Amino acid sequence: MSKPESELHDPETTTREREFDDVEPPIGWDGQTLQEMLDESEHLLEETGHYRGLDELEFKEQDPFQYEQMYSRLRGALVSARETALHVSASPIVREIGELCFQIYTPEGDSVAVSTGIIVHVHTGSLAIKYMIEEDYEHGRGIQPGDVFCNNDNDLGNVHTTDVHTFVPIFYEDELVAWADGVTHEIDIGGMTRGHDQIASTNRHEDGLYATCEKIGEDDQLYQDWRDRGQRGVRTPMYWDLDEKCRLAGCHMIREAIHEMIDEVGVDTFKQFLYEAVEEGRQIMESRVKERMFPGTYREAGFHPIQWEDKAWQPGAQQNMMNHLPVEMTIDGDGEMELDLEGATPPGPHPFNCAEGSMEGALWVYLTQSLLHDGKVNDGANYAVDTNYPEGSVVNPQDPDRSYHTPWATIFSTYLAVSKCLSNGFFSRGFREEVITGYGEPGDALQGGGKLKDSVADAIPDALGDYWPVGPFDFSCQGLGASACRDGLDYGYAMFNPEADLGDVEEWEQTQWGLLQLSRRVKPNTAGHGKYRGGSGWEGLHTVMGSEDVSMYAFSIPTVTWSSAGMSGGYPGGTSYSVRVHDTDLAERAAADEPYPLDDQPVGSLEDQIEGEEVIRDQDGMFFPEEFENHDLLRYQTSGGPGWGDPLERPPEKLKEDIEEDIFTPDIVEQVYGVVGDYDANDREFTIDEEATEQRRQEIREERAERTQSFDEFFDEERERVEESDWNDGIQYMYDGVFEQSEEWAEEFREFWDLDDDYSP
Amino acid sequence: MTDSFIVDEEANYTVGKAQTTPDDESVGVKKSFDNGLGYWGTSFSESAASLDGVVYAGTAMLNRLLEREGEGNIGVITTAGFEDHHRMGRGIASWADLSYSGRLHAREHEHPDPLVPRENIKGVRERVNMLGAPVVSIYEDEIREAVHDLLDRDVRVIAVCMIFSYANPEHEQKVKEIAEEVKEERNDDTPVWLSSEQNPVRGETPRLNTLILEAYAVEPSREQLYSIEDKLQDEGLDSPFRVLTSSGGTIAPDHDWLAETMLSGPIGGVFGGEFLTEKLGIDNLVCSDVGGTSFDVALITEGHYPTRWDQTLAQIPTNIPMTALDSIGSGTGSYLRVDRASNRIEIGPDSAGYLVGVSNENADVETPTVTDCTALLGYINPDFFLGGDIPIDVDAAREAIDEQLASNLGEDPVETARGVLDIVERDMANELRSMVHGLGYAPENYNLISYGGGGPLHAAGYTKPLNFKDVIVPDWAAAFSAFGTACADSAYRYDQSVDVILQPDFSNADQVADTLTGVFHKVRDKAADAFVRDGIDADKMEFQPAVRAQYTGMLDDLEVEIEEFWDGRLSGEDIEQIIEKFEDEFGRVFQRAARSPENGYQFTVAIGEGVAPSPKPTLPNEDPVSSDTPPEQAHKGERAIYWEGDWHDANIWDMDHIQAGNVVEGPAVTEAPATTMLVPPGFEASLDHNRIYHLTQTNE
Repeated sequence: MSKPESELHDPETTTREREFDDVEPPIGWDGQTLQEMLDESEHLLEETGHYRGLDELEFKEQDPFQYEQMYSRLRGALVSARETALHVSASPIVREIGELCFQIYTPEGDSVAVSTGIIVHVHTGSLAIKYMIEEDYEHGRGIQPGDVFCNNDNDLGNVHTTDVHTFVPIFYEDELVAWADGVTHEIDIGGMTRGHDQIASTNRHEDGLYATCEKIGEDDQLYQDWRDRGQRGVRTPMYWDLDEKCRLAGCHMIREAIHEMIDEVGVDTFKQFLYEAVEEGRQIMESRVKERMFPGTYREAGFHPIQWEDKAWQPGAQQNMMNHLPVEMTIDGDGEMELDLEGATPPGPHPFNCAEGSMEGALWVYLTQSLLHDGKVNDGANYAVDTNYPEGSVVNPQDPDRSYHTPWATIFSTYLAVSKCLSNGFFSRGFREEVITGYGEPGDALQGGGKLKDSVADAIPDALGDYWPVGPFDFSCQGLGASACRDGLDYGYAMFNPEADLGDVEEWEQTQWGLLQLSRRVKPNTAGHGKYRGGSGWEGLHTVMGSEDVSMYAFSIPTVTWSSAGMSGGYPGGTSYSVRVHDTDLAERAAADEPYPLDDQPVGSLEDQIEGEEVIRDQDGMFFPEEFENHDLLRYQTSGGPGWGDPLERPPEKLKEDIEEDIFTPDIVEQVYGVVGDYDANDREFTIDEEATEQRRQEIREERAERTQSFDEFFDEERERVEESDWNDGIQYMYDGVFEQSEEWAEEFREFWDLDDDYSP
Repeated sequence: MTDSFIVDEEANYTVGKAQTTPDDESVGVKKSFDNGLGYWGTSFSESAASLDGVVYAGTAMLNRLLEREGEGNIGVITTAGFEDHHRMGRGIASWADLSYSGRLHAREHEHPDPLVPRENIKGVRERVNMLGAPVVSIYEDEIREAVHDLLDRDVRVIAVCMIFSYANPEHEQKVKEIAEEVKEERNDDTPVWLSSEQNPVRGETPRLNTLILEAYAVEPSREQLYSIEDKLQDEGLDSPFRVLTSSGGTIAPDHDWLAETMLSGPIGGVFGGEFLTEKLGIDNLVCSDVGGTSFDVALITEGHYPTRWDQTLAQIPTNIPMTALDSIGSGTGSYLRVDRASNRIEIGPDSAGYLVGVSNENADVETPTVTDCTALLGYINPDFFLGGDIPIDVDAAREAIDEQLASNLGEDPVETARGVLDIVERDMANELRSMVHGLGYAPENYNLISYGGGGPLHAAGYTKPLNFKDVIVPDWAAAFSAFGTACADSAYRYDQSVDVILQPDFSNADQVADTLTGVFHKVRDKAADAFVRDGIDADKMEFQPAVRAQYTGMLDDLEVEIEEFWDGRLSGEDIEQIIEKFEDEFGRVFQRAARSPENGYQFTVAIGEGVAPSPKPTLPNEDPVSSDTPPEQAHKGERAIYWEGDWHDANIWDMDHIQAGNVVEGPAVTEAPATTMLVPPGFEASLDHNRIYHLTQTNE
């Protein structure tokens, strides 16, 4: 049967046909150029401390109700564009996990409102718009009604390479009134390896496809050459295409909504509203800080270990590195917050370099979950925080040549420290319930891909090709840390997305055809110990079937450092690890109804039910792309959150529940909590031996007392180690870098440890 | 309370109320009927024989779940390795029912307690892949062991859910087969339920949960339903007793699965709306319901309302098909507070509900509510709220609004009250706008009906910013949801995930047509069997097939009604027409730019509904009078109301005495015991021969 002669089936007519009249620059408000608007805005903020110099919110004060209505309408338009557009997308990452976000910006590039979704993008687009203004696109490249721009260049405003932004300028008559921006996270961007958070790349040229504030279409249509570049530049052209359609459709919906709003309220009211909304965001942020935090200086440090001496591919990356991510947060009596990362490590030969925009985006995604969940989140909040991400450091390299594929590793580690600073502030103010000791570090568990064998591929529609990408976002369900009055949330938290979802196996396997999941089980002993324990993680097991040319890797942060330690005596969550078994007898076992592994519990038991030519147990959970054959096994896990308070203060009844729910095993409970009893695993019934428990707890207290030393002794011992540089090569890498990067930090270090002025590590 | 709503063939209705009797619901049901019929001077036993049917819609099942008072002792067999899925709740269960700020606020997230303890969940090694191929055959010894273990634990039911069983049910059937053998050995009659039989739709977590809910919260109601049925029959009922489902029909209490009846109360109005579209010849209708705690909206487009699967009940993800209904948490009882940090009024999400507000002299509410604002503005009659059952103290409302809201904002209390309503009504308008736009339409394409106790009071406010074709308010607005329940057809609905691919060049259209035809025949037979069981002639059943379709690769599908193409089978040409319809709908909803015909198409779910006609109310039909002005006896006096910055003298009318053909000119308030309609200055409401008001703005 041939295709019917209906225009509906003709791809040529499926794109929206619209023509726009060009406008003559200047396109800013009241005859200004965009550059003039931006200069004025920066100048007014600098001079008055208020956005656009608005020390009073005139519109809001005169008509608070209309003002609020406009805000809710604007955010409603963003949320509804997002909810509609995400149906168009192909990637489960977008649909299941909602890695899609829309924003509206002022003409000069300040974010006014953001949809639900991954709020990390609230600020990133701002930098890209400002770049276009400063590079005078207005007169050069041209900014016209119906134009479409794209950016994923991290150095100019993006979180990481696989986040792709589509910008649409919104004109009203001859003026640019706002920008719409849609972001999706791509499952592949054509980098040196498969995957959406690469670990192997060490510089920009290995990252994959970059668009640098590029004009990619006009009259609402994408250029043919741009579409071809995208299609040919990534491993998953269909996903790329559908995700792009999704972003563009959403931006167009937002444009329509804004036109409707302006028709109703008039353009002057709309403009006034945009500016006041940003200034209000700034004021709300200050009020919230004042309301919930205690003035003072808070200090914590994040660390990110990269043990790559025997792992990395590129010679330059084959070393053990430790990134230092110190955080100093200052809160003053007026609610101003300062965030200072002086002393951060220099950028390195890895993909964890993090642009300033990524750090700022991460600040918003974290603050919206902990402090600003009931406020307005926009660039006003950004202006209320004075940040120092030191130039030339790993948190602001200012160097486009670096690889920025996976800055999340840096973000997760840094914001654990931010979390503790905030938590100490909440605690000091009496908000025990708001404390977050930290979170399981959500490295992107599994990535890679493979091809279906011809025999299986016949069952798959041709349009989809034979390549299946691996990128399940089930790692967005980690354990959350405890608060100061409650246990942490089990298997339900991701620092990057407040709306965490594991997704169904039946959904993920719709796209990762050759990778079959064999289990997803709660992993005992991942939760951090404490009076209030952290949330638990889980472990998963996969095998490969019907495929060839399969390679996979895991990006994981090993959770072995102070960053994830608990608070007030709580412990960190368990460390992650991975197990791979190659050339297995899984097929023979399955055929003979002989058991195959469903977990690695107790740890080390996985091999009891499988035989393989090669078994690799990886202590830090991270491994570089590795080939997999059919029936190979891959075991990975998510992490638990840290605990709060002394484990000996946890009531034994709570530990009974923990054991019966697989959160902890009886041996660990006895060892850490001193709770002794009998466990009937079959009926999941733990009986506490009260007498033995009391005795064991007493013993633990005595053991502790024996190990105790005075602070002076401890300091002297440690100082000696510092003097002699008695540490491993990862730590050496860290101190070398930090001393080179920041004289200020080096000096403070020498002073603290009472070292000579010429001390270097 | 147990409410009953009795409607006669002329749409006269009476409402009865009685205390709910949870131990034996039939007692309360009968009392409620007696109470309602008492207003007509009769009782249930006197009139039972004249009833055309009784439809039950209740919240007992949902309450059982919310209060965790369902029946335990449930055993589960699932794919080994995935025994924890139920308690992990896909993560989403920890935040699914929270407000926007709650969703963002990590510390508020909490998993619901699992309904089945972990020791009652057994895994059996097996795997089926996404194409339905059994890539690891099921381990039969493990089945045997699991069944023995669960029976040793004395479970009431064994619920079986294996991964990809919707694509291939063989492994689940094998579990059942072996379980039957074991039961026979043990002389045991514990039922074994399969997810592939209950609801073969993709998504193993919601599929398993739905099966568990059937056992935990639903099945325990079956006996109650029988007891109500028996009681009513003992009293002389001679017509069917049926239960309302959330997807839009009624089913018999002895239907195989009742999970679809879990959440049916709020949806009744949509069926009433559907009934009106048929009777009044309306294509597109927005159904809007203002209740005490929420504002609910559903869209009927070209005579149909869409269905959703991905709903959570008491935080638990399910795949129960439900009429698509969007809710925002602002209702008449929503609490009002000023957020000190942002100096902004926050509405809800919690609510005083039936306690009304500070102005209720009989309750001890301390925080002002939306109703307090309407009281202060003169919209409701302090002496006639709920027919005078609740005395309203306007001064108390004023004081609370002044102290807790207005003074913080530096505003006048009256201005503040009106400002609150502006925000509430604008939020409602935004919700309407976004739902209509979400389907690719504009408000100009729709009529809107407003109902619920608070609907007529706020209709002018929330429709004013939008340009609907017509805004209608039935004079029985307060009871419209119950009226809608009486309008529902007898219907059995079956969903089946299919995942059929149609090539972009349509080269396999004939084959696709055959596959879908086969699936539809199967579900049609199931529906016919259900009707035969109910004693209804299968020939009277009308079969309404629909598909969900998407461009291959996209992850979300659209429902396409295909009744017009169905003549007992589908042909290749039909498939082309269906795709054309799909493309139209897709272009409208998602913007044409997103169409991707080059990838081909995928039919994801086949939906078949068997519908049998059931008795329905008729609309009131009065001869219109020639006079625009309502009769003198309808005039109750005047009251000052506040609107757009001024006080106006409004006529107060008694709704019952307004005659068809009359026009109520604003400013006016019409009052009935259960609802109040506000006709602001610059508006008028004309009452047509069906006793439906048409609210229009005259000063534009």
